[in-house]
Amino acid sequence: MLRFVLNRFLAMILTLWVIATLTFLLMHAIPGSPFNNLNGKVLSDAAVKNLEAHYHIDQPLPIQYFIYLKSIATFTYGPSIKQPAQTVNDLLGRGFPVSFELGMWALVVAVLTGVLLGIFAALKHNGLIDYLAMTLAVLGISIPNFVLATLLIQEFAVNLHLLPAGTWQGLSYMIMPIIALATGPMAIIARLIRSSMLEVLTQDYIRTAQAKGLPPFIIVMKHALKNALLPVVTVLGTLAASILTGTFVIEKIFAIPGMGKYFVDSINSRDYPVIMGTTMFYSALLILMLFLVDLAYGWLDPRIKQSKEGSK
Amino acid sequence: MKKLCKNGFMLGMALLLVFVLGACTAKPNSSNEKSDGKQVLKLNNGAEPTSFNPPIGFDAQSWNALNNLMEGLTRLGKDHEPHPASAEKWDVSSDGKTYTFHIRKDAKWDNGDDLTAGDFEYAWKQLLNPSTGSPAAFLGYLIEGGEAYNMKKGSADAVQVKAVDDKTLKVTLTAPQSYFLNMISNPAFFPVNQKVAEKNPKWYANAKTFVGNGPFKLASWKHDSNMVFKKSTTYWDKKSVKLDEVDWAMVNDTNTEYQMYKTGDLDSASVPPDLANQLFKEGKVKVDPQAGTYFFSMNVKMKPFDNAKIRKAFALAVDNKQIVDYVVKQKNDPAYGFVSPGFKDPSGEDFRSHNGNLYKYDPSEAKKLLAEGMKEEGYKTLPPITLTYNTTDINKAIAEAVQEMYKKNLGVSVKLANMEWNVYGVDQKKGKFQFSRGSFLADYGDPINFLENFITGMPMNSMQWSNKEYDQLIKQAKNEKDDAKRYALMYQAEKLLIKEMPLFPVYFYNQSELQNSKVKGIVRHPVGYMELKWATKSN
Repeated sequence: MLRFVLNRFLAMILTLWVIATLTFLLMHAIPGSPFNNLNGKVLSDAAVKNLEAHYHIDQPLPIQYFIYLKSIATFTYGPSIKQPAQTVNDLLGRGFPVSFELGMWALVVAVLTGVLLGIFAALKHNGLIDYLAMTLAVLGISIPNFVLATLLIQEFAVNLHLLPAGTWQGLSYMIMPIIALATGPMAIIARLIRSSMLEVLTQDYIRTAQAKGLPPFIIVMKHALKNALLPVVTVLGTLAASILTGTFVIEKIFAIPGMGKYFVDSINSRDYPVIMGTTMFYSALLILMLFLVDLAYGWLDPRIKQSKEGSK
Repeated sequence: MKKLCKNGFMLGMALLLVFVLGACTAKPNSSNEKSDGKQVLKLNNGAEPTSFNPPIGFDAQSWNALNNLMEGLTRLGKDHEPHPASAEKWDVSSDGKTYTFHIRKDAKWDNGDDLTAGDFEYAWKQLLNPSTGSPAAFLGYLIEGGEAYNMKKGSADAVQVKAVDDKTLKVTLTAPQSYFLNMISNPAFFPVNQKVAEKNPKWYANAKTFVGNGPFKLASWKHDSNMVFKKSTTYWDKKSVKLDEVDWAMVNDTNTEYQMYKTGDLDSASVPPDLANQLFKEGKVKVDPQAGTYFFSMNVKMKPFDNAKIRKAFALAVDNKQIVDYVVKQKNDPAYGFVSPGFKDPSGEDFRSHNGNLYKYDPSEAKKLLAEGMKEEGYKTLPPITLTYNTTDINKAIAEAVQEMYKKNLGVSVKLANMEWNVYGVDQKKGKFQFSRGSFLADYGDPINFLENFITGMPMNSMQWSNKEYDQLIKQAKNEKDDAKRYALMYQAEKLLIKEMPLFPVYFYNQSELQNSKVKGIVRHPVGYMELKWATKSN
């Protein structure tokens, strides 16, 4: 087990290095300059030169690459070009907790409701509840979250005056973003659970359990669900990494101070330090999540062994 | 029926969530006023300010707010002219080049420190210091020694800004230019509390350490989220300030901004593009002029625009009025000159009305000019023409309208190309485009700011135009002390620019916003930043 973890850890570092290098090459391959977007003003060459020197991007690329690798290794990304008063660590340090809080709630809501819907749909296969649940799921998948978000604001904030339209100041401000963010994943999870549940329920060991006279609740929750969860766990790794690091659109619509906007804005404004900060952060989180997923497999289904055979 | 379904669905979803969250204490604080009768204005800054360090935050999202936290030697009044502010008066030497400012005895920083001339000297030298990397540094080139220092050819000591004593600042300019007083109302010329800045170089990054000298004090600043300004108790003119508090949200989505305006969470909002037509028609939009021009630039180093008659034909074939009325639809004024209205010459006449419309839409004349130009160049057919713009909805719509007008009025097919802004900006500055969209927003309040962009080699001169007579006129104007003569030179220069037509204007910009009818007195200058000093909000 330890060996497995160590191996995976080394592979993670290598993966991160590859991602870092590709990101560096790609971001310098985009034409355009970070000093162009200053409110549509055209800067003189002298001003641009001063700015480039200030941010060390007048150095040759190989030197920049080493500065960049060093900053990744030491977690010091320096100041953002777009917001020079803030370092990248400042930006991520205040954006991530917000995105994480919102994302965590959305994940919890998505998993709980998704799993419940899926189970009910599977148990009442081809019944009314199944059709209702799956209609909801199809709607959830096909309505983009930004449409849902705008509709929610229009209904609950503007028409009914029940909830605040935007910004981030407490529980009531979280409700609509959580719904908007959770609906899509909930629908995916519900459909996955339904189909794998249907499959699991026909298996021999379930029949055995029924024959033993176990109550249906125990059969479903203890025996069937554990196996049916496998496909959900698979999608959950990537889903968690992307939801927890914030979503550009939802955060923009609800004016939530999360980190989602930096992914898009940094590239639009060629804010090199922020591009690498967000990319490395996201990659590290994603790799970690995938690792956790692998560990969870072993717990959910002991038939999947990741220890000795894999590493020898 | 549709609506019913939608509501049912939403309600279902909401109930589900309420169930999951267990306890839901949904109490939106959308009440408009705080009950204690305080005047609290709720504005949206759109995004996190770039920086509150005066020489760095060279954009509206920093300086609209900063303009109310700090104050320069002068401040623009309700008449958009510079008035004494931190400086209570000033003397100008007889050659018009040396200004001696006398700073108010009661001018204070909001931490209680005295505002000194040294704070201005410190701040202005920081603006010009090349290692500051200020994008606004060029504004300080009017100060003797400023350009050399910023270009690393001089030194800080050679910059002619000197604190003679604690309350007297002496500045020598490279040329006698009366708009200097307007220019120093700009946030780039705000003072910096030297004592504070030397102790903490990042004093501007947080509310706790920020020190200002303006009508409002930065009470709290939650980055990326909101700011609270409270009326300053140390400001020399605090009796003029009526608002108790300004709450700034940072909402980047115009639809959400509009919805928050509808629910009373904001007192002012920008006009969402999707609703613009309707809101403008209903007369709900407040429109203020803005000094700036939307134009098209024709590269005189590329065929066929090396021919003046062909350039002129392309200008005369575009109906600016139609573009303004049916494409932009935001109550802009069509432009037939480059300098926008709002600059008065010494006789009190507006620059624009004095020079008037320098050309007019005339499709038959355009056609004639095109034929003549083609004959001069020996063209049977015109070389292919591509009109390039940076990608936005409005630019696209205008470019398509222009394309249609050329087809109809000149029988010429123009190709359209678009590019993302950053790439576009770099390529345009290099003069890579044959025919491209340009925009100019004034940095300080004088026509010379518009006209100086087109002398040889300026970064805005993407048309690669070079005209000795024009360069000379601008040079003379920049050295002319007598304002009447200076304006005469600028009138002549603009006429020459439009006669040679390396560019043609389309319309003058404006500022449009929705505003709560209880709010009065917010001043939006054509050149300059939002002014809340005189704003009020009735309950």
